[in-house]
Amino acid sequence: MLKLIIKKEFLSSLRDVRLQVSAIILLSLMVTAVLVGKEGQKQIQKEREAAQSAMYDQWLNQGNKHPHSAAHYGQFAFKPKPVLSFLDVGLDNYTGVSVFLEAHKQNEVLFSGAQDSNGMTRFGELTGALIFQILLPLLIVFLTFNAFTKEREEGTLKLTHAQGLPIRTLLMGKIWGAYLMVLLLFIPIILLAYLLLDQRSSSLDTEVTIKFLGLTAIYALYFLLFVMLSVLVSAFSKNSGLSLLTLLGTWIIACIILPKATTNLADKLYPTPSQFEFRQVIKEKVKNGIDGHNPSDVRFATLKQEVLDQYGVSTIEELPVNWSGIAMQAGEEYTDQVYDQEFSKIEQIFQQQNRISEWAGFLNPYLAIRNLSMGLAGTDFNHHVLFAREAENYRRAFVKKMNKDMELNHKPGVAYADYGVGKEMWSQIEPFQYRLPGTANILANQWRGIAALVFWLLSLITISAKLSAKIQIIEP
Amino acid sequence: MKKFLHILRFEWRSLWRSNTLKVLLIVTLGAGIYGIYFGKFEIDKQNTRIMQVQQYERQHFDSLLHWATLDTTYVGNKEKLEKATSPVGVGWNKHFTYYIANVPPPLSGLCLGQRDLFPAYYGFNVTSLHKQIYVGELANPMKLLTGNFDLSYVIVFLLPLLIVALFYNLYAFEKEGGTLLLLRSQPVALFFTLASKGFLRFVVVVILATLLLILAFLLQGISLPEHTALFMKWLLLIYGYCFLWTLVMGGIVWLRQSAALSAMLGLGVWLIFTLVTPAMLNLFVLADEPLPKRAEIIHAVRTLNDKNWESPKSFVFDQFYPENPQYNQGDTTDFNKWYYASFTLLDAEAKTLNEQFEKQVAARNKLLDQWQWLAPAAAVHEKLSSIAQTDRNSHLAFLQRIESFHQGLKDIYYARIFAAEPFDYDDLIELRSGLEF
Repeated sequence: MLKLIIKKEFLSSLRDVRLQVSAIILLSLMVTAVLVGKEGQKQIQKEREAAQSAMYDQWLNQGNKHPHSAAHYGQFAFKPKPVLSFLDVGLDNYTGVSVFLEAHKQNEVLFSGAQDSNGMTRFGELTGALIFQILLPLLIVFLTFNAFTKEREEGTLKLTHAQGLPIRTLLMGKIWGAYLMVLLLFIPIILLAYLLLDQRSSSLDTEVTIKFLGLTAIYALYFLLFVMLSVLVSAFSKNSGLSLLTLLGTWIIACIILPKATTNLADKLYPTPSQFEFRQVIKEKVKNGIDGHNPSDVRFATLKQEVLDQYGVSTIEELPVNWSGIAMQAGEEYTDQVYDQEFSKIEQIFQQQNRISEWAGFLNPYLAIRNLSMGLAGTDFNHHVLFAREAENYRRAFVKKMNKDMELNHKPGVAYADYGVGKEMWSQIEPFQYRLPGTANILANQWRGIAALVFWLLSLITISAKLSAKIQIIEP
Repeated sequence: MKKFLHILRFEWRSLWRSNTLKVLLIVTLGAGIYGIYFGKFEIDKQNTRIMQVQQYERQHFDSLLHWATLDTTYVGNKEKLEKATSPVGVGWNKHFTYYIANVPPPLSGLCLGQRDLFPAYYGFNVTSLHKQIYVGELANPMKLLTGNFDLSYVIVFLLPLLIVALFYNLYAFEKEGGTLLLLRSQPVALFFTLASKGFLRFVVVVILATLLLILAFLLQGISLPEHTALFMKWLLLIYGYCFLWTLVMGGIVWLRQSAALSAMLGLGVWLIFTLVTPAMLNLFVLADEPLPKRAEIIHAVRTLNDKNWESPKSFVFDQFYPENPQYNQGDTTDFNKWYYASFTLLDAEAKTLNEQFEKQVAARNKLLDQWQWLAPAAAVHEKLSSIAQTDRNSHLAFLQRIESFHQGLKDIYYARIFAAEPFDYDDLIELRSGLEF
């Protein structure tokens, strides 16, 4: 019986001209988004890879010079464009794309796309995610808002009920029929996207396929939630008009108004300090010590004494190693320590802000899917921070290597300009390579989104089971 | 005319009696007031930050002034005096960091525009400017992505929804309520009745929009008499936008479909105008015109810098002195001279590249502008933002101001550096007068 209902629902929506038109529009939008998006992503990734290797070449061929000059000459890290970002561009337009790595300084990841565009960017980019998250639910609303109300208004609900069809079976049939229709749109797009997946890009991300399957699964679940919700609203609405109004209102609040309101609220609850304060605190702590009682001149004097004692000499000139190299590395490490502390604080604040929208996923499944999808596509805040960290670690490693060489090989008494190293030294620094975090890492970060979606599913199942008996058969 | 007023009167009564209108108006008004409050909150935050850096700057400079007058016979004062009067600073520390702020323009709280993407102030000393202005402001990218719930958002996104909600059943209500036949039997043409009803709804929307804009000026403390022109520009633009949506809905009503279908069509057009076409334009433009590779500026400058350090003297003689004869005292043995001369060259190199990139960005944005008519919501938002001076171009103008301020600094500093003299008290007073206190 259930099968029969599903078939009837599916076929009747397939024959509906209005749905045909909207489905075709949606389908062509999705195809465009996926094809053009993939092309853009490929092009950007190619550019960044080329820039990364060109800059590394520059590093290798910078000629002979003092290792500390080389550390000042510096290197670059370019953020790779994640393979799956063509499905969900996430925060990519709002986070920087490259960072200059040099001695003494933790530079920011700079040059976001949004800064180089006019206000149009703020309206978003047409990607699979935008269509799946916002437009498809709207199609679901149109597909199902009168699933029950129409039958009630036309009296067919009474007829089928009189023939002994349990209302629960009808509810299930309506849900699965509509869901099948949604899958009919979703599956071809997913197949197309899968074909476009660049399997060769595994050097950047070894788990592309798993993440892709994860994305497919969560979207399939998200659509099911919307179908269930929508059919249930129809079942409990007095008439079709009211059902449509409720659903459209819910859609506008959930997809358009709440996301903005949530982030704005989060910003109020956990205020972001200014760049000025951030830099000022670092400067202060480097100067006067992390605890405020260990000023830098005292720190260096202590270090100097330690080094002198270690080599059993009384002046810097007598040292067999280069004091500047040691001092510079010590300075780096102290600044790094302070920077890590302060940067973690900022990151913490942003995480707290983002947590609010993650928890809000329990109220609004749109927020849950948005965060989850960005996470799997590799375009969420977490990915940005990981990249910034990796780049910073790379900076520390190569600056340390330069300082070490200076310490050991630049003998005291030799002028700065007279000591130099060359390509042999530069090539000891491996090129910067960044790999995207694995699925486990992402899920550990985004479990709230999954929990929220599962919570919604269980709630909707419970509601359907418990309340199906209360669905009105005849018009009140 | 009498008939027209008659229809309006009755229509208003029945509209007012139905709760739908009240709910819609209250929701929109509530959203608008929230937007006004939110915009004020954000701008207040920017102002606080600006005040914070300017206060720091002022205190810092005043202590420099004080140090410049110290009696050096006391122990420790000599160092302070030197810090205050040496144009190159002491050691690797530079003389002074100046903070120049992009003070929020009067209407910025109504449309935050692109301001949240850029710092509201830059801090820099007289050395290479470009090395100091590639900084951002700390901002959660998630917040940048979701955007601001300011008044312009309410106008561009929510007002059209209100119009859709008020218009969709203009015809269907009569038909589905069974009053259509009654109306048709009247001596008044159906079109006239429907048009009058539509007119009333348009007036309601326009009054609400005007009210919101006046409220925004009042609640944000913007002086209306001082900024009447800005007010009028916004108002006219909003009226035009509302009119456009009224036309769209008029067209949908004219199709004489059921209420449900009309609502869907209205929402569909809304989606297309506010979401789909801008997103599509972004997609195509991004794929077609890639973003400038800004890292190249940093790379070009470091390479030039490298070259300069390799042959510190030659470029001063070959390039800097010929271009700036006023500084030529004939000698370059002084480290500071070639060091500071190099900053001019580095900035010139960065500027050339930056101009190239800006041309590229301009071409991109021009392409977007060309197709903007496809996305009226985005076009109106951009226009509101440009009137409020919160768009990207306003930020570029601010950067221009920074550049000329920096040039002014250089004129004062370089005169002393190349004469190998310290600042005197009058120099410091002159520098202080240039600060934005």
